[in-house]
This record gives sequence, structure tokens and C-alpha cells, in this order.
Amino acid sequence: MIHMASGDWLDIVGWSESFTSWSMDNVHDVMPSNDIDMEVTIPSTWAWPEPITIGPIFNLQQGFASIQPALESFMHATIMCTVVFTVMMLTMLAIPYIERKFIGRLMDRLGATTTLRSLWVGESGVTAGEWWKQLPFGMGIPIGWVFNLLNSYWGNSHELETVSRVNNRSYHGYWFLLPGFFQAFADFMKFATKEHIVPKNADKVVFEIAPVIIIATTIMVFAFVPFGPHIYAANPELSLLFMMAIFGVAPLGVFFAGWASNNKYTLIGGMRSAAQLTAYEIPLLITVLGVAVLSGSFNIIEIVDFQMGQNEGNVWNIFLLPLGAALFLITMIAEVERIPFDMPEAEAELVEGWWTEYGGIRWGLMFAAEYMRSYAACILFALFFLGGWEAPFQHTLSGLSTVGGTFETVFTAVPGLVWVLIKAWLLFAVFVWIRASLHRVRTDQILEFGWRYLLPLSMVNLVVATILRLEVWTGEPWDLWVPVTLTLAALALFVILAIDEDKEALEAQRRPYSTQAVVKASPGSHRD
Amino acid sequence: MAEMWISMGPQHPMTHGLWTLKVKVDGETVVDTEPDLGYIHRGVEKICEARDFTQITTYCDRLCYASANTWSHSYIYAAEDLLEVEVPERAEYIRLVAIEIQRIASHLMWLGAYGPDIGNLSVMVWCLREREMMMDLLQELGGSRLHYNFPRVGGVKRDLPHGFAQRARAKLKLFLNRIQEYEALFDESTVFLVRSQGVGYAKPEEMVNHGVTGPNLRAGGVNYDIRWAHPYSVYSELDWEPPVERSSIKGADCYDRYRVRVEEMRVSASLALQALDKMPGGADTHHEPGDPMILAKAPTRAPEGTTGAHHFEDSRGESMFYIAGGGEGRGKQPYRVSIRSPMFITIPFAAKCMIGYKVADIPAIMGSFDPCIGETDR
Amino acid sequence: MGKIVPIKTQRAEAKKLAAAISEIDGVEAEVAERASGTNPRPVVLGNSSPESWRALAETLHSEHGVDYCSMVTGVHWPEGDEDKKWEVVYHLMRTGIRDPPIEDGLVQPVIVDPSTVEGSDTPLELEFHVHLPDTRTPSVDSVQDIWVGADWNEKETWDLVGIDFDGHQGMRRVLQPHETPKGFHPLQKQHRLRYHSFQDMYDDSQGFMRKPADAGKIK
Repeated sequence: MIHMASGDWLDIVGWSESFTSWSMDNVHDVMPSNDIDMEVTIPSTWAWPEPITIGPIFNLQQGFASIQPALESFMHATIMCTVVFTVMMLTMLAIPYIERKFIGRLMDRLGATTTLRSLWVGESGVTAGEWWKQLPFGMGIPIGWVFNLLNSYWGNSHELETVSRVNNRSYHGYWFLLPGFFQAFADFMKFATKEHIVPKNADKVVFEIAPVIIIATTIMVFAFVPFGPHIYAANPELSLLFMMAIFGVAPLGVFFAGWASNNKYTLIGGMRSAAQLTAYEIPLLITVLGVAVLSGSFNIIEIVDFQMGQNEGNVWNIFLLPLGAALFLITMIAEVERIPFDMPEAEAELVEGWWTEYGGIRWGLMFAAEYMRSYAACILFALFFLGGWEAPFQHTLSGLSTVGGTFETVFTAVPGLVWVLIKAWLLFAVFVWIRASLHRVRTDQILEFGWRYLLPLSMVNLVVATILRLEVWTGEPWDLWVPVTLTLAALALFVILAIDEDKEALEAQRRPYSTQAVVKASPGSHRD
Repeated sequence: MAEMWISMGPQHPMTHGLWTLKVKVDGETVVDTEPDLGYIHRGVEKICEARDFTQITTYCDRLCYASANTWSHSYIYAAEDLLEVEVPERAEYIRLVAIEIQRIASHLMWLGAYGPDIGNLSVMVWCLREREMMMDLLQELGGSRLHYNFPRVGGVKRDLPHGFAQRARAKLKLFLNRIQEYEALFDESTVFLVRSQGVGYAKPEEMVNHGVTGPNLRAGGVNYDIRWAHPYSVYSELDWEPPVERSSIKGADCYDRYRVRVEEMRVSASLALQALDKMPGGADTHHEPGDPMILAKAPTRAPEGTTGAHHFEDSRGESMFYIAGGGEGRGKQPYRVSIRSPMFITIPFAAKCMIGYKVADIPAIMGSFDPCIGETDR
Repeated sequence: MGKIVPIKTQRAEAKKLAAAISEIDGVEAEVAERASGTNPRPVVLGNSSPESWRALAETLHSEHGVDYCSMVTGVHWPEGDEDKKWEVVYHLMRTGIRDPPIEDGLVQPVIVDPSTVEGSDTPLELEFHVHLPDTRTPSVDSVQDIWVGADWNEKETWDLVGIDFDGHQGMRRVLQPHETPKGFHPLQKQHRLRYHSFQDMYDDSQGFMRKPADAGKIK
């Protein structure tokens, strides 16, 4: 396997390997080791002069020993796939929660505030209808006992004002039950129980295949994403390459879906999606290539290790390739079709875009796939640019004189998974923030932006990465001046380009507002 | 890709109401359009021929439900022309307060719907939050949140409630601060500017010939407003100017129409505040319903041969009622009520404006003209 | 104070215009006063014969600057005079609007000071009645090419009232469904409202059951 420089105690890969080898060894030992002679001797007859001995000699233990490695790796792979998938799904539960709550606050509303408690109490202090009685086989009876008990402790004595409910200004539950958390489960149940409708003249085969492509490739991406130094499903040498390749197959499914639905809207949506995703794959891949060049490897774990460095002086890639980080962010938002780049599914014109005709669980899982892709984008950003499973200033903090020891203990105790997740979730909050603030960019403007601006910039990023690797990197940890110069240069460039200095040219170009001298009720236009 | 007709509607998130826009697209470019209206044609004009003059006011609220007060007042002025009633001045001031607050609420609804059309979902919730403030004020005046049935022939149905002036002033001042939030979200956003500038050009003379007035016209650089051209109510007593936008060379684009309405919200707030200050009898006095200070005695019959007409500056343009008297009940009911809806004329014009732009510009252009289908279909 | 167009100017202009167009054969116009609420306002009120309507419209548009058609109303008078069974009312306005000039690449908005308007820029309200005699196919000349704002108004008038417009391109149903039977124009007086209230229409308080006489009907 790959040489690993970093690690922590949550060595799931190791545990799984040792578990499988232990269990297979036990099976091996349990197997009978004697030869089972099942030879048959056919006496000689007039047709053949010599007696023929045919038949096997079974040695179960040896036979098992020959297939044991394959069996071990198969078991290990199965276990790791399951573990990684579970970890991904469980940690992804935070994603729609962040989206819902954060965008709600930005929009000045609370959003779904019912909690688990609404299962036994209704809304606004009304008793829930006794839904458990409808469960078959009398399953509802013990549930009913539990809920009546809960109702007596955390029940209807909570009188909540109707007015505050109308104004949506209060919580309906207890904070530790995470109000609104179970909305995602309720949504999933709803999708799972809906009817599967296929449009009459749709191409049925392609219509059914498209969601499979989208969902399958999205989940496969997570096979290569390490959640921690020892939590991954597969870790080949070229994991980055595999992963980006699989990531790029989903647009094909999108296009299939748009075309197969026999609907002009979805066709337009599918076309837009194909154009947009193609246009943004290229800068994305070149940016990722820059990261790989800088780190000297196509393996994601090695990329993270490169950022963690050998001893002190490690630098996260965001400080070495700030342009690359910005490009990665923008192209990823376009790849996962979030606002401002969600033209393909723009509700205003295309209702739901390429997935208008899908309902039920197919839509539900594709919607989940969209969030999985956003989640993958966030985790990848954390791995490529934010140092993966390293805590901020980990080496510096551990190297401090007095408190260093405490920090060292803390860093050893906290598994790397936690840091990855924190970074990914925070980045997702940034995605949500962008979504709440920006308008949708028109398709041709998106394409122009991608081809004319992002592509050359990604080439520049690649050049910078190459120069850094070949000329500046000495095999030792980076000198401090390298990341500082790069980051400051990027910031300076950003300030210069983003902030308009020429006010007069701006004013002449931008039409001045109301030219009437209105008696302004205070305070007037925000430009005053 | 060959040219194809797409039908946007009648159920469609963009259309702001129930109508169909058939669009012929060549790839992503719009080549031809054909609007299809009439889905909520309720026959209001016919119904009004069988209702008394007081009963018709409720129907007129429901013509454009987003801007109910402007429509019921538009009708009432025409009825007062027909029945030859003179309205007390205090009633005119109260009507002005109601109309201008309604104009703010209507524009907020428009802005709240325009944001999501272009992709910004936050502004919808913010605008509706402010619209709730306005609707609370109008609820105090009229009794319900959306359809108020506020004016009567000869005045208004009731006076300003106790403390209304104080609450209105506080809310309007708060609102004027909040407008800056919306402006920041729109004007500071390059994405919005790129989406709305250079899209949907229309020149003033062309607009006038097509019958488009109101904010859509003032976005083109001319300050025509019915409130000073054919004056009614007490606008002459107050200090105001209709906001005008310096359009681009090719005409008014979506950005101009958006700016004009934002400024109109400011002007309306200023008008309402001035009217509260200048109200004859003071804004804090309260008269009982039916008091001659707020409601004049009006005849209930219009003999045959009389007509009443009134042009009114509605939130969306010029609305007009033409009433011919002498109907059933020896003139208690009108013989013919004819309603001019600005949107009925603007929607075909907007559909023409879209030709040559992209499919993605359709909601931007359509939304910037502020369609309301209730008044279109009557 | 808010400036408004002075009523004297409007009255004078209205008188001039009324006098000028009364010289056309078949047209007689005068200045009437409409008053809504507190403010009176002058309106050019005219009657035109159907034959001279087109000439009048062209004159108004070309010579008198009437650039805006607000509404076209159709009225059916089955009990009116013999030659006044159908009436078309045209509501026109003169707005005095010109395209704003462009200087130095910037548009200079035209800010009209209402108190100083005079002459042919004065906003005016015009109302013309065209009466048609008793006929099963009433029709008037279309002014669709003069004022495009009259286009959809004329469609609506034909759709609801039944008055046709000669020379109108693309006449179709606009407010009623496209499949409405030919000859059905609801605003004609022989069609009466069937129901006047909820109780008239439905048998129950929730609106599910029609009355026995209307069993099976949807509308």
C-alpha cells in the first residue's frame, strides 16, 4: 500500500483488515487439515491396460489457504464500503440541516421547527392523532404506551402562542432534539411512498437508466474519498484520477434524463446542463491537476500528507495556491449546479429543469445525489486545500512550550475524521451563503465565464503550481515566505480587481438613479 | 436544434398568475411569442350589470388582488363621476393614504416575486416581511388583509383607527430603511446587473402607442403620470414627483423598470407620510362611520344616458372605469361597466419585447413588467 | 406643492381640439366636464358616424397628437333608438410624450413641469362614441394600425360584445376560451346572469351539490 505519513487512532481500515485476516485465519484453522482422499481407481479392462486413478484429493485447509487472500480482500472491501457509505450518509444528514437552517436565517425565517416530539404531541399544543394505531400486526400498541408516557412528561402542557406560530417566531420543541432535523427523514419517507410516473412517450429504457447513472456514479465517488487517514473504501495510487473521472460521468446521466422525458423543458434543461458541466469540468480538472502537481502525487491521501508535511512548516494548499482554491470553489459550485449556476434546473423558466418528469424515489435519490455531490465537493476542498484531517496550526500548537502537551493530547484523541467533517460542513455553509445571496447567471453568461475566464486562470494556476514544485520546493518543508507571498499577492490582486476605484467612470457608466429631486423622506437612497 | 413552440403555462412558476405564454425558440433564442389569456375570466363586467353601485366595490377589489385598494378606488371615482357626488376633503386624504400604502404593498409583492425569477430567493422572504407590515396597516383601515372594500360612493367606509397615524409613521420610516437592504442585494450584485441590464428594451413613444403607461413608461425617461396629467384626489396638495429613470440609449430595460419601482416605493411612502401630516381635522381624530366628514350623502340611482369615466394611476399603469348608467332597478344598477386594465395591454407588448433574447431572459423581462392576471382577465 | 396641469390650459386646448375636429363631416365634438371626487376635469366628448370614424382617427393621430388609445368599449342597446343599437366608445388620450433626447451618449430624461405645459403638449382626455344602427353584424373600422394599444381592446370588444372591426388582423377570442361557439358574445343583453348568489347555484352549504334543475352542469 501507499506509504502513509499521518495517522490517528481511528484506524478503521486497519481494524477491518485485521478483523478479516483474524476471522479468515480462524476459519483456516477450523478447517480440517487432513487429506481427504477421494480418488477412485478404475480397474483395468480390456480397453485400458493400466488401472486409472482419477479423483481429487481434497485438503480443505490448503484449498482454503489458496483462496484466503482473495476472500480476505473481498470481505475487507465489503466492510469498508459499507462503513464508508454509512459514514457518508450519516454525516450527510448535517448537510440538508445546515442548508435549511442557515438559509432560513439568511432569509429571516426559522423554517421547519417541528421536532421528534411532534410524533407524540401535535403542533401548537394539540395532541397528535394516534397514528400508531394504524400500524399492522398490533405493532402500534407498545409504541402507543411509550408515546403516552412521553406525552405525560414532555407533552401538552407546553402552551405555545398561535400568534408566534403564525409569525414563525418560536421553536416547537426542545433544542436538544434539533428542531427541524427530522424533516429530512419525513421528506425521504414522502418520496419513497410516491407513485412512479413515466411520461407516455418517454423513452422508457433511457428514462430508467438515467437516475441509475447519476446516483451510482455519485455514490462511487465516495469510494475514493478518504474521510480520515484510515477511513476509505479504496486507495489506489491514482485515486484522484479515478474519482474525477467518475465525478464527470454524472452529466451524461443528466443529459439522458433531460432527453428521455419527452418534454421540451427538460430537453432544454438537459442541454444547458450538458453545456455547463462540460464547460466547467475542464477548469476543474486543470485546477485539480495543479494540486496534484504541487503535491507530487495522484493519490488523495498523499496530497493530504503533503500538506501536513514531515515536521513543522507544513502549509495548507490554500495558501500556496489561493487562485486554485478560488477556482476549485467556483467550478465545483457550477459542477454541482447550485445557485448562482443552477440554470439547468432554474425554477423560474424550466420548472425543475431536467428532472421535471421524475417523481417519487427517483427524484428523491437524485436530489440526494445533488447534495452528495455538493458534499463531495466540500470534502474534496477540505482535503485538497484545507489540510484534510489536520487541525489548524497543529504543529505550531503542539510545539508550544507549556500548553503544547495539552494540545498534543487533544490532537491525538480527536480522530482526523472530525476535522475533515468540520471543514466540510463549514464550507457547505459558505455554499449556502452564496446560494442565498446571489442571483442566477444566465446560461450563455455562465458558459462565457467558464470558457473565457476560468479556463485561462486555471492554466495560470497550473503554471504556478509547476513552478512551485519544480523551482521552489526543496524537499524540506516550505519556507514561510513562500505561502505568505502567494497569499498576499492573491489578496492584493483580488482587492485591486474586485473593488472599483474609478468612481467617475463608474458613475458615468452606471445610470444614475431617480433623476427627480424628490422630497426625500429620510433616509433616501442608499447611495446618498 | 430546430425551432419549436414551448408553452409556458398555464401552470408555471414564472408566470405570476394564470396565463400561457407560447414561445417559439430556436435553440435558446426566442423567435416568436403568443400570449394566451382568459384563464381567470370571471365575467366581472357582466356581473356588475346586476349589482348595486355599492356592491360593485367588492368585485373591484378582486380584479387585481395584489393591489386591491387602487382598483376599488379607481371604480369609486368613476361611480362618483356618474352619480355626481362631491367627496369631503378628509375622505380624499384617507383614500390617498390607503392608495399609496397599497402601492407600496403591490410593489413589494412584485419585487418579492422578481427576485426568485432571477434566482435570488432571499429577497422574496424579505419583501414579504415588509409587505406584512403594510398589510397590517391596511387591515387596520379596511378590515381584512387582502380585499378591503374600503371606499364608498361619497367617501370612505370608516375613519383612521385610533393610533393608526403613529403606527403608520413608525412602519413607513422602518420601511424606508429596509429599502436599502433590497437595493444592496440587487444593485451591488453584478450578477443581477448582468441579468437585467441590456434586456428587454422598450422606447417611450413605442410604449405609448402600444398603450403602456405607469412605471414601465417612466422607466424610459419620461415622467408622465396620470396623477398630474389628469389630476384627481389631493395629489396637488402634496409635494411629490413621479420617479423617472434615465434609461439606456436603446430604451428602458429591465433594470430601469426595477429602479423606477423601488423609487416609487419611496415616493409612495413619502406621500402617505405627508398626507397623514396634512389631514384636515388631524390624523388622530376619529369620526364615526357615516360622519359627513368622511362620507357624503350620495344618490344611488343613475338615470339613463349618464356616463361616468375616470382614469386612474394604478400600480401597473393607467386603469380606467367607464360606467353607463340606467340599468336594472330604474338606474340602481349600471347599464354597462367597462374596465380598462393596464396589464391586458402590457402583456402582449412585453411578449413582443422578448423576441430576440434568450429563454432565460423570459422571466426577467416578464417579471420586470409586473404582470397581475386578475386585472388582465377580469 | 405638487404641480398639476392647470385646468384652464386643458380646457382651452380641449375647446380648440373639439372645434377643429367638428369640422369633419359626421363628427360633432364638445368639451364636457367630468368630476371625480373633488376635481373637475375637461374631456373632449364627441360623436362620430361610423363612416367618418377612420378619417377622424387618422386626423387625431396625425394632426392633433393623440398618441394613446386607452380602451375600446362596446355597448349593446337593444332598447335604444333605431340607429343607436350598438355603441362603440373609444377612450383616447393625448400624452405629449416624446422619446427623450440623447446627449453625449447618455439619455436625458424628459422632465415635464406640469404647470408650464401649453399648446399641443397638453395632456388631454378624449371620448368618442360611434353609434351603429340595428344589425346582426355590427362593425366599425379598425384603428389597429394607428394605435397598437387598440389591438387587444378591439379583440376583447369583439369577443365579449360582438362588434366586429373591419381591417383588424388576427381577430380571435382573448378572454373566453378559443373554442367558444361562434356568435356567443356574453355582454349582449339577451344573455342574462343565471345565478346571483351562492344559494342560487348550490343546494348545500359547501358547494358540492347543484340544484336539481341544474343537475350535471359544471358551469
